[in-house]
Amino acid sequence: MIAIAAGPVIPSFGGSAHSCVRANHFFCWGWFKSNWSGVFQPALLQHLKLTLIAVAVGFVLAFAAALVAYRFSWFETPFSLLSAFLYTVPSLALFQLLIPITSISTLTVEIALVSYTLLILFRNTLIGLRSVPDEVLEAARGMGLSRRQTLLRVELPLATPAIVAGIRIAAVTVIGLATVAAVVGLDKGLGSPIYKAIQIGPFKTELFAGAVLAIALAVVADASLAVVQRLLTPWTRK
Amino acid sequence: MTKRTLYSLALLLIAGLVLAACGSSKKTNSSSTAASGPGKGKPAVTLGTKNFPEEFILGQLYKQALEAKGFTVNLKNNIGSTEVIDTALTSGKIDMYPEYTGTIVQEVEKSNTLPTSAAATYAQAKAFEEKRGFTLLAQTPFYDRDALATKPAYAQQHGLSAISDLKKAGAFSFGAPPESKTRYQGLVGLQKLYGLTGITFVPLTIGLQYQALDSGKIQVADVFTTDGQLLSGKYKVLDDDKGLYGFQNAVPVVKKSLVSSEGPAFTQTMNSVSALLTLPAIQKMNAAVVLDKQDPAAVAGQFLQANHLK
Amino acid sequence: MDAKVIPAADIFTFVGDHPSLLWHSVLQTLGLFAAAFAIAVAVALPLAIWLGHLHRGSFLAINIGNIGRALPSLAVISILLALVGIGFLNVVVALALLAIPVIVTNTYVAVDGVDRDVVEAARGIGMTPRQLLARVELPLALPLIFAGLRTAAVIVMATTPLAAVAGGSGLGQIIVNQPSYGLDGVIAASLFITALSFIAELGFAGLQRVLTPRGLRQTEKVPALGPALRT
Repeated sequence: MIAIAAGPVIPSFGGSAHSCVRANHFFCWGWFKSNWSGVFQPALLQHLKLTLIAVAVGFVLAFAAALVAYRFSWFETPFSLLSAFLYTVPSLALFQLLIPITSISTLTVEIALVSYTLLILFRNTLIGLRSVPDEVLEAARGMGLSRRQTLLRVELPLATPAIVAGIRIAAVTVIGLATVAAVVGLDKGLGSPIYKAIQIGPFKTELFAGAVLAIALAVVADASLAVVQRLLTPWTRK
Repeated sequence: MTKRTLYSLALLLIAGLVLAACGSSKKTNSSSTAASGPGKGKPAVTLGTKNFPEEFILGQLYKQALEAKGFTVNLKNNIGSTEVIDTALTSGKIDMYPEYTGTIVQEVEKSNTLPTSAAATYAQAKAFEEKRGFTLLAQTPFYDRDALATKPAYAQQHGLSAISDLKKAGAFSFGAPPESKTRYQGLVGLQKLYGLTGITFVPLTIGLQYQALDSGKIQVADVFTTDGQLLSGKYKVLDDDKGLYGFQNAVPVVKKSLVSSEGPAFTQTMNSVSALLTLPAIQKMNAAVVLDKQDPAAVAGQFLQANHLK
Repeated sequence: MDAKVIPAADIFTFVGDHPSLLWHSVLQTLGLFAAAFAIAVAVALPLAIWLGHLHRGSFLAINIGNIGRALPSLAVISILLALVGIGFLNVVVALALLAIPVIVTNTYVAVDGVDRDVVEAARGIGMTPRQLLARVELPLALPLIFAGLRTAAVIVMATTPLAAVAGGSGLGQIIVNQPSYGLDGVIAASLFITALSFIAELGFAGLQRVLTPRGLRQTEKVPALGPALRT
């Protein structure tokens, strides 16, 4: 410990760092291990939570909108246009536009992420519902099923592949976009260590770890949902 | 089942196990349970920080010192540049953040006068903030100004020891954060006060300028005088002979109503932290974070503990 | 700041006040786009056409599309930043990497999926493999190939703003610089990028129509792989 006369005590801050870190080599496993629980694990969990909320809320909204559009076809165009427009706004810009209104908070991130899921979830659900063959609908009507029964027992199950495909794309999209939040001051999720790593050099180990974790999360989500898609639709397997 | 289905199911299972394992461990806190002390029961404080490592350290120092006295602190880290965080402050999204006196005068107040001492800068900044409903607590002994740095070879080649000498260098690329483009204590001042007309502005995220210098992408970089990277001796810092960057002691900008509602122990705790922050102290902490890649929270914690504030 | 609704007039004021800034930014963005897209096409198109023609490597070609979609743009840009350093090259390579998977998958599926009966018939009348590729498979595969190119173009164009974080130039430099240009500037630059994305999309749609032999022009099928990757 270095004591300075009439000044603060300046400790040695854990001694000099491992030479790997000082030299900024590509990946310092030791640094990663010792910072896993403090930096990466919380970031990963935050990221997962952000994604789950965004996809869930987006799904509820888009699904409801798709049901409305399925029933009242005039609704499709306005909702499509709105969600397509939201989809095209660059993520950086959308976050910045929301901050004056909803401040630097998780809500801002979620609003932006949800708006990016609407287009794909809406479109896929509607396509799925509309892809039900007319003969099947005829048969259902012939069997005396009500409109609601037809929807629940025939149309939705047949629309499931398209819906799950949409959820899959939405989830992966959200995981990718959530990393951008950190760049505009929303210090949560895996974008946080990536951005902080850029701000010190860049610091390669932290940057790679954050980036690879984000990629891994997206790949795992995609693969898992692909499995779900296949399990839910045994009749589409080759 | 096909091999592919088995593989996919295995992936799903692994993913589930990983997540379960992660979920079962304790979450790290962002606002910890309050210790006992004069802060217990007082309203929570939302503390923001700007977008560079020294601010992360200052944020952690103040946060942990307050928490040690029982206050509840919500930290919003890495919010953005001065302009962005000032908006967060004035719109009530944060209650306080660490700023620099000269920056308040030049970039927030946009004053035309250049105070000629640290004390005068502090006084002018304080007067300005108090008109807006905020106040300044005690400033730190250390100051952290922007400065211009070059590689020693470049400085030698053009005979540079002060910013004014850059006139001799002709055209050069200047790397600085994007917001410098329209700041007086940035590109504007360099052009107006120093009369440097041959500048090609290269906007860079704060932190990338040293790599850009090293790789030759820029010849001159905007740096902070307390940057850990400057301790290596690899860069020559040019003297600010015309005083463009003014006096820049760090100072917490706090909502006036918060100061009264948190009680005298709040101000006392904040000031006792600030008093410890000498130039060597902050430089060593910056070096620990930027060069040794230590966590700002850990570095701040060790510093506070060594000085019995935690 | 209480600007909850940005009046459209402010955006026009910004555009009126900064014509050369916006013009140069647009040019820089187009430069980034052109370089990245050219690289992506040069790498992905020949490879995928060849694999599709030979009906080989389907697992890789199809799954690379999924992997590519799962690459968070910021992650790729940052990794390239750490590997290559700041500047044009790192950004161009990152953008190209994001575009390649879509082109590969769509092109492969397009060429591989050409109706086998038609292929057989062509072989039956004595076409060499090269003639088969050029006169039968490619024309029939064009719609789906172009769907991939369109998607890739939008991906690249819409990701360029993010590249500003790693030293990329263009409209992104305005979007990340709200302090200097204000929210009006951010919105104006965003609208420009959005417009450029739409132009890219429509441009490729038009190109597709021009290049598709008249006899094969038909109503567009919904591309199998869904809409563009968001950035």
